[in-house]
Amino acid sequence: MEKVKRTTKNSFWIKGGYTDFQTIFLTFVIVLFGLMMVYSSSSYRAITSGYPGTYFMMRQGVFAVIGFVAMYTVSRINYRYLTNLSVILMYLAIALLAYVLVLGRASHGATRWIQIGSFQLQPSEIAKPIIIIYMADACVKKSKYLNTMVGILKIIALPVVCIGLIAAENLSTAIVCFAIVVAILFVASPKLFNLIVLGIIGVGAAALLVVTVGYRGDRFEAWRHPETSEKGFQTLQSLYAIGSGGFFGRGPGNSIQKLGFLPESHNDMIFSVVCEELGLFGALVVIGLFVMLIFRFKFVADGSIDSFGGFIITGVITHIAVQLIVNIGVVTNTIPPTGVTLPFISYGGTSLIFMLAEVGLVLSVSRQMSLTE
Amino acid sequence: MNVFTHHNKLRLLQIFVIAMLLVSIMIGRLFYIMVFKSKYYGDKAVALQERERSIKAPRGLIYDRNGVIIAGNKAVCSISVIHSQITDEEAVISELSKRLDMDESVIRKKVEKVSSREKIKSNVDKEIADEIRDLDLDGVMIDDDYKRYYPYSELASKVIGFTGADNQGIVGIEVFYDDVLMGTNGSINTLTDAKGIEIPGAAEERVEPVPGDNLVLTLDVNIQMYIEQAAMKVMQEKNANRVCIIVMNPQNGEIYGMADVPEYNLNDPFTYNRDDIDEADVTQDDLNNMWRNFCINDTYEPGSTFKIVTATSAFEEGVVSIDDTFYCPGYKLVGDRRIKCHKTVGHGAETFKQGIMNSCNPVFMEVGARVGAENFYKNMEKLGLFEKTGVDLPGEAGSIFHKLENVGEVELATMSFGQSFQITPLQLMRAVSAVINGGTLVTPHFGKYITDDNNNIISELKYNTKSGVIDTETSETMKYLLEAVISEGTGKNAYLEGYSIGGKTATSEKLPRSSNKYISSFIGFSPAQNPTVLTLILIDEPEGIYYGGTIAAPVVGDIYSNILPYLGIEKEEVEDSE
Repeated sequence: MEKVKRTTKNSFWIKGGYTDFQTIFLTFVIVLFGLMMVYSSSSYRAITSGYPGTYFMMRQGVFAVIGFVAMYTVSRINYRYLTNLSVILMYLAIALLAYVLVLGRASHGATRWIQIGSFQLQPSEIAKPIIIIYMADACVKKSKYLNTMVGILKIIALPVVCIGLIAAENLSTAIVCFAIVVAILFVASPKLFNLIVLGIIGVGAAALLVVTVGYRGDRFEAWRHPETSEKGFQTLQSLYAIGSGGFFGRGPGNSIQKLGFLPESHNDMIFSVVCEELGLFGALVVIGLFVMLIFRFKFVADGSIDSFGGFIITGVITHIAVQLIVNIGVVTNTIPPTGVTLPFISYGGTSLIFMLAEVGLVLSVSRQMSLTE
Repeated sequence: MNVFTHHNKLRLLQIFVIAMLLVSIMIGRLFYIMVFKSKYYGDKAVALQERERSIKAPRGLIYDRNGVIIAGNKAVCSISVIHSQITDEEAVISELSKRLDMDESVIRKKVEKVSSREKIKSNVDKEIADEIRDLDLDGVMIDDDYKRYYPYSELASKVIGFTGADNQGIVGIEVFYDDVLMGTNGSINTLTDAKGIEIPGAAEERVEPVPGDNLVLTLDVNIQMYIEQAAMKVMQEKNANRVCIIVMNPQNGEIYGMADVPEYNLNDPFTYNRDDIDEADVTQDDLNNMWRNFCINDTYEPGSTFKIVTATSAFEEGVVSIDDTFYCPGYKLVGDRRIKCHKTVGHGAETFKQGIMNSCNPVFMEVGARVGAENFYKNMEKLGLFEKTGVDLPGEAGSIFHKLENVGEVELATMSFGQSFQITPLQLMRAVSAVINGGTLVTPHFGKYITDDNNNIISELKYNTKSGVIDTETSETMKYLLEAVISEGTGKNAYLEGYSIGGKTATSEKLPRSSNKYISSFIGFSPAQNPTVLTLILIDEPEGIYYGGTIAAPVVGDIYSNILPYLGIEKEEVEDSE
């Protein structure tokens, strides 16, 4: 075992250390591909809305640059320093979420963002990395709590508040956050019994929510019968796009469904355009890139010098994997429709920037990891 | 320091494995949709994205037997605008309003409407459309279309019929031969975006339209015009309800002309052709009645013209010869009923020949009784009276007869002189044709050939004939007798110098008998020995004198004086009879 030069003190910045070029390269390729797809899928919408065809891509490009800067900066931060900040960050997230919720309620609309100039900050996207850090930190600091039901409840108390606030406006993001919490608990817990009990309660609550809230029932109808359901339009258009892709697709830029037929074509439904233009082949390449990235993350986690780093990466892996699976599940109508973006690829500033910041966290862990030859 | 333990790594591996399993399921789903369901969803997507611009196929033309166009197509255009392609709105609005003679505000509304395509006007004359096309205005689309056009307007309206908005046949020949006449529309399929705007550079699939085939009729425009004029003349003179005239070749069933006046304007078929109803009160039923062709769509009591059938049956059954003598006291007692002859004082003693010349009812009642109901029905069946004629027009009516088992002596007696049952005029034509052509039951028809674009014959239309339905000897006898009706009997008003004509008159009282409404009719053929023209005229509800021999027969005489020379039938030396 060869140990890399590492900073053991709780200093804020890390100088030198191992740079995981595989992660950087894969991330860069996926983001660049995402920019191309955003351009392809949004130019029609941009033009018909009176913007230049490159409007959404340029914006996304700016977000990507900010995101990469954030990624680099975070990778240079000593992730262990974050243990000092985790609770503060958690309260900040809760405050932001509560703020948009109250603001949204006050303006009688479902507002999910804070307007900063022409940029809309989505607190729910910020909440995801904060939940990861908080959970990872809690599972390290309060590792004994993991042995009891009450202890676990204490650990997840603040994240549950946070998820509750998110769920009020955005169920799918709440589900993603919930998955992150469960995954980190799963990895950290010595025993599974308590976790399973809590899991059953959690799933039961979710099921109750789905049955009682009307519009989610509509989504089930749209899922089961997209061809006849009124709400199934988007799903159906997505299936048309994916189906017409075939093996090799219509060719880059040649999607027709993006020309006003497919709603959210540059956003939640961007994978449908990928399928239509690049075919099954292109879709498999994209999925392959994600699998390679996740596999690389797992490699970094396994080499992490401490459990905090491992738990953080567990959260990041879960975040990316769940969004990838749910997004493809929705566009292929495998699961009921819900609005989850495809990581790194779907249009959206906050999502991209904080996703890249999470990659920065992984890179930060990798700087201090122990490499096994 | 807390280490990321082996236990933790194992759990992370489990998460990784679960994630990969779920990803595999998604890949499976993608594989299913993009390989197995690709065609299904792909086709649905194309159906959604593709926009079909139809290219109208011209409908086949209808010609008369001499190649004169009866139904043609007028090239028209429809003008529409595509908002997104217009560059100079004002120019488009002012030019279109000027040339199409439309209000600027109407056009402005359509030009300014953000839609894929707004139709401004259809059925625009080709010349005007060409002018607009020459202006080369961006966003103005001109599509060629065809509109059915009937150069003779009213000619043979009830035979030809007309077409609807999509050039589909509605009534008459137009609907009967719709499959032949209707072409196959072509199309230009292009991919469009969700607003229906064509995607530049997208592959265009063009399917050329196939024009409909042409139809050549047996109808002769000149004969048709002449009989319509003759019919109108007598209708006006007698202030009749309607007059029907059918001219047919009894040898092969070719119909030269079929008039049912008043006719209506085929170019304007929804305008009522009589003034007995206010324009505003005209109902669909009135229009349907106007379009009805009495010659085939309605039945009537033929009256004395049917004595031809009775006489034929009698000869077929061998129960009478032309010199058999009868006595007419002006009536005949049938059972407990006293059925009158039209000559109430009686014809006295007469031969069968004289009986038919006089159209004497008691003679025919006697002959009918000799034939008997069963044999009478057998002969009527042979003459096709229990079936539709098979004419190539829609909506042909069937005959109405008593059931054979219900025919008592009174029914038989009245049927013998053409009452108490109903047939269509064309059924009578067909039966009489068989009587006078040597015993061949023909199918009356209009369609002769189907031709292609270049008037090459694609197919000759064939019709069923059935020969030997009656004995040739019977046929010869009947022709001789019917010629005598014209030369010496009730039909002498149809006599035409230089031509031999055979025929029979009729005056049928319409039901109820007390209404004193009549149908005067005459059926006549020429040349008498080898008939090639058979004509039936029906005058419905004439005022004043209503005897068929007086008012119907001379019309046929007049028609024959014109159409016999026209048909190239030469005058013959007529030996003075008796």
